[in-house]
Amino acid sequence: MEHGSHSDQSKSTFSLADEDHTFANSMRFTLNQDPRVTFCGYSIPHPSDNRVNIRVQTTGDPAREVLKDACHDLMLICQHVRSTFDKAISDFKKSETVEIDDSE
Amino acid sequence: MPRVKIRELRDDYARFELRDTDASIANALRRVMIAEVPTIAIDLVEIEVNSSVLNDEFIAHRLGLIPLTSDRAMSMRFSRDCDACDGDGQCEFCSVEFHLMAVCRNDETQDVTSSDLISSDHTVVPVDYSESAASIDEFRGGITIVKLRKGQEVKLRAIARKGIGKDHAKWSPAATVTFMYEPEIHINEDLMESLTLEEKKEWVESSPTPVFEIDQVTQQVMVVDAEAYTYDDEVIKKAEAMGKPGLVEINAKQDSFIFTVETTGAIKASQLLLNAIEILKQKLDAVRLSEDTVEADDQFGELGAHMRGG
Repeated sequence: MEHGSHSDQSKSTFSLADEDHTFANSMRFTLNQDPRVTFCGYSIPHPSDNRVNIRVQTTGDPAREVLKDACHDLMLICQHVRSTFDKAISDFKKSETVEIDDSE
Repeated sequence: MPRVKIRELRDDYARFELRDTDASIANALRRVMIAEVPTIAIDLVEIEVNSSVLNDEFIAHRLGLIPLTSDRAMSMRFSRDCDACDGDGQCEFCSVEFHLMAVCRNDETQDVTSSDLISSDHTVVPVDYSESAASIDEFRGGITIVKLRKGQEVKLRAIARKGIGKDHAKWSPAATVTFMYEPEIHINEDLMESLTLEEKKEWVESSPTPVFEIDQVTQQVMVVDAEAYTYDDEVIKKAEAMGKPGLVEINAKQDSFIFTVETTGAIKASQLLLNAIEILKQKLDAVRLSEDTVEADDQFGELGAHMRGG
């Protein structure tokens, strides 16, 4: 759910349901890395409500687009961590089997 | 871009370094590993006979907490989302059925354990701890559910479903997931030289964990295990008490994390991290693709008015 004004698309608050610090804090970090963002922060209106408000203010681009781009960037980070981890596991397994062979 | 290096990898334990990323990403990973990676656990128990000393709900609660091998969990559907079953959430696509039948017929106390549970799907079974590193005799035979005396009987049918740790802790695949900042330790060699061997020994011993050691040959203080440092400042306080502030400088590298992941056995440790990243990506997709711009309701209207300076 987006709460903003029709005339000024660059400032907006996004209210996300069924989310918590897990998602919001990493989004906040990724948004801050984007040079188009002048302000970004998140708050949790009430701990019993499963809801997060993310506020984004940009240098002119529509806040919605910037948020979507940040989601995409975070996705790329996740994919990178995943492939790095996959490679690290196979490297580790290879080095383990080499050790076993050497000792025989 | 983040880098990963694995230190140790066992079936239920992994220790690895994650570099060049921010604490918020590391924390998001940790939170997802604990609370949002799905597993399979017993969720519905139909008891036919129970003449044991534990009451029905007690046994049902214990059954729910038994870890089940959940490699199928990521591809399974949640019972509530399943359209194949006739509404009671018990079809083969969204659930696994278990049976438990035990009667004690001899004079000895009979132990009914998790290995007595008979599964309808051989890929989803109670985790077998008898091969793990800590092979103490008590672990052989599985987790004790209830003990029976002569003549007591337990007969039940249980349905296991997919779920996440957020709903109930029985579905959490992680035993512990922790991360710490990697410490950077610099010993001021000049100040260290001004200490006698006795003072060096005293200072090394003031640390609760074995971070430093005195080399036998050179009589120098060396850093033997930087990561054993738990960010208690005992060595710093000791140095100040001895009149030598600045003897050692310890910083936490803000973008370098050391993760320790221990699982219950439901999912392999390496698989847990991969699943966690997958779930995080799914969350991102859900937000990115949602197109709704539902107009604010009253409660939110006040917030908007407040933020516009109204």
